[in-house]
Amino acid sequence: MLNLMKHGAISILPLAAGAALYGFAFGLLAAQTGFPWWSVGLMSAAVHAGSSQIVAVEQFANASTVLGAAFAGAALNLRYIGIVASLSDVLAGLSLRAKLVAIHITGDENWALTMSERAKSKDIGASFLIGSGLVMIFVWTLSTASGALVGTVLPDLERFGLGFAFTAAFIAMARGLWQGRSSILPWAVAFGLAIAMVYLGLPKAYAIVASALCGLVASHMIRQIRSASQ
Amino acid sequence: MTSSHWLIILTLAVAALSIRIIGLFAGSKVRASKHSWVLEELPGLIVVSLIATSLSGQSMQMWMAAAVALAVAITTNHVIATMCLGVAAFGGLSLITG
Repeated sequence: MLNLMKHGAISILPLAAGAALYGFAFGLLAAQTGFPWWSVGLMSAAVHAGSSQIVAVEQFANASTVLGAAFAGAALNLRYIGIVASLSDVLAGLSLRAKLVAIHITGDENWALTMSERAKSKDIGASFLIGSGLVMIFVWTLSTASGALVGTVLPDLERFGLGFAFTAAFIAMARGLWQGRSSILPWAVAFGLAIAMVYLGLPKAYAIVASALCGLVASHMIRQIRSASQ
Repeated sequence: MTSSHWLIILTLAVAALSIRIIGLFAGSKVRASKHSWVLEELPGLIVVSLIATSLSGQSMQMWMAAAVALAVAITTNHVIATMCLGVAAFGGLSLITG
């Protein structure tokens, strides 16, 4: 068991290095929005979801509404329902406490690595997932807190254009979430309506929720039309 | 560190763990339901809406920097590269336009 945990911990290191860069950049930005460095580390350890944290912090900094920021952040995490559900075989046999620890330290990277390694060998299981997950949450917490620590001693980075880094990060996330041509119309609806709503004076937090829901309606209509034509 | 900062951390942590617990106990049922497509579609729609609200009413240089970031994202599919080159484009355009 310890050998497999160690195997997981070592195997995840290249991916952890990439997450550390991303985490450092997030910490830098979070510090600029008023989060002390230790609270960024605390958030990373307690939430352990990179895209969710960056979305929530940006929303909180701009709109200062806890509910809107939490909703936007949580919505980004919905994919974890599917990710954790896919681990049912891996986690079978563990105690409830161990399962809760395992799912908390599961992120995109160690989940993907565990599933791909498990496809090659059935020996890969919960120990590998936990070993790799412990490295990931440690690296994520340390890198975000370090970034925030550096961010607090730097001058106002907004005037150097660093605030745009959030928007650029969202654009990169969107690229990862693109599902092909079926995304075009729902995304166009959401994008256009969000622009219009903010232009008309609606608070950003509400515009995001309303336009995303309109995008869902558009997606539903496309599915209905497709299934009716088949 | 205000009470709002504490509240956002606490709310996010509870939401993140709750979603994972739903996945643990009801994930299979949710994935098999006829509404499972919402789980796939909503994250992308939220992110697109976030981008739109960030750009709405902003300067032309910000839209141009966003176009550069989009081109980098499509080409590289890499978060750090997109952030670095996007910020560099924004800074460069700011210098040019004064």
